[in-house]
Amino acid sequence: MTSLLDAPPLNVMDVLRGERTTRPVANATAAPGLRALLEDGIFELFGSALRDEPVTVRASSFRAAPFVSELCGSTLAQVRGILITQALRLMSVGLDVGDAFHEALLAWRADVGANELTNFVDHLDAGDRARLVTDVTAHCVTLKRSLGPLSNRWLPRTSLRAYQRLAGGNVVLRDVVDLMVGTTTSDVASVALLDVTTSPLGEGGERVMRYHALVQTLRTSIAPLRTSMFSTATGELWSLDVDDELLTRAALDVLDVLTRLVVVA
Amino acid sequence: MSALTHRRYSRNVLNRLINEAPGDPHALTDDHRRSLSARFRGVASADHRRLDAWMVERAGEPMGAFRWSPTTAKRVVGNAALRRTLNDPTLTRFDAVDIEVTDQLLRAASGYARAGSLASYLAQASPSVLGLVSAEAANWATQLGEAVEGIDAPWSVAMSDAYYDVARARTTLRGRRDVIVTRGLSRILLRVRAGAPGKSAGPGLRADLTIDALAEPTGLAATRVIGLWPEAGVVLSVDGTMEDLRSGARDLVRTAVAHQRQRLARAA
Repeated sequence: MTSLLDAPPLNVMDVLRGERTTRPVANATAAPGLRALLEDGIFELFGSALRDEPVTVRASSFRAAPFVSELCGSTLAQVRGILITQALRLMSVGLDVGDAFHEALLAWRADVGANELTNFVDHLDAGDRARLVTDVTAHCVTLKRSLGPLSNRWLPRTSLRAYQRLAGGNVVLRDVVDLMVGTTTSDVASVALLDVTTSPLGEGGERVMRYHALVQTLRTSIAPLRTSMFSTATGELWSLDVDDELLTRAALDVLDVLTRLVVVA
Repeated sequence: MSALTHRRYSRNVLNRLINEAPGDPHALTDDHRRSLSARFRGVASADHRRLDAWMVERAGEPMGAFRWSPTTAKRVVGNAALRRTLNDPTLTRFDAVDIEVTDQLLRAASGYARAGSLASYLAQASPSVLGLVSAEAANWATQLGEAVEGIDAPWSVAMSDAYYDVARARTTLRGRRDVIVTRGLSRILLRVRAGAPGKSAGPGLRADLTIDALAEPTGLAATRVIGLWPEAGVVLSVDGTMEDLRSGARDLVRTAVAHQRQRLARAA
């Protein structure tokens, strides 16, 4: 059956930016309550004693079933993810990424120098290297086709790190957002977060999106407008508008992860 | 008494810290400079040493050799871009980053760049590396711009860091400063750092405060130095009191001693 669409399908940036006229007022009051919720929960888990080593929570702590992480967590998949992130960074400054693998690899090397992963790429045999090149190229084509125009008036920032210390340093929340657009200085909510993954979107995806929103809220004291996740494996995009309920659930997700970690320990 | 203030980053926190800063600046005199110089001369050094707040925070632990990378270039390019947007408000921060990178490339092409400079690094970089430099610089300029655009008092992006050569002590001190806020006759410094502040972030701020005062020909110290860690959403500040200035100077001398001991231990 042939389907005809009335309008072209939305691209990632259209979804991220949304309708400007319907944006809510920037939420600058949620952060203290969320912090208190987290601090109380952590106190119940760890008590008041200071730990020698903090428990670190990352976006990867929310990913689902172990077999999925085995599939996606191989070194090749890790390198592919890094290279696609680099390609996104280059696109964010208006560079036309033609040879995705080599351009992203050059950028990555310039940034980190030599490390275990760059050595891994150097020592790949011809077959594995060719597979990686094809893989990265395919993922990058999906990203380029779906991303849409990225105006520099939207203030795109890439690979933004965040680090939040809670409960006197007993718990550290670490996060990296692949792409952020919008400003925290506006009266209306305008910050949109995008996580680009080279894996299919799965069970933990929603939790990861909520986590990004939570850490961004704690970091800047302003809740973002929406949080999204795009898979270059499937071309799927998930997007959630950020509200108090979502942020509270994110805080409870963090406490669940910490509870799991305590039980394991 | 030394005053280190810790705040979570939120709207208007910088304005509050600026408005609450002490009014009258303290000044370092020639006697202070002579005394500092004598103390540094007491710490023997075969080579010229360079000290900054980062070394103070790491207790003199030597840093690895510097190399340009998108990460190390972001602050120079980002600050210059933000300065351009202040001079020409029609520019977006991204346009300003592009212009700054192009300007650096022109400097290299016209033979004004010395070896090892940012311009010569950029001139040898591939388009994708230049793209990553622009992305990092845009991140920096946007984060800093968002933080300072709400400041009510007049402010400007610092033209350079503060440098002070300690007389006859083969020592150069470098103080970081990103934004200078002017309030009447007094100045307030804003310094932005990546990551999260460690336990020694306060001594680092005091070192920057002291070096900035030493680099001022009049010796007038900033009335407050504010450290902003956007990734951690944390703001620390130290007042420019004489106690803090002395403490900053002491930490710098101690760092020189620790640095020298580590060099000797490595050589042995």
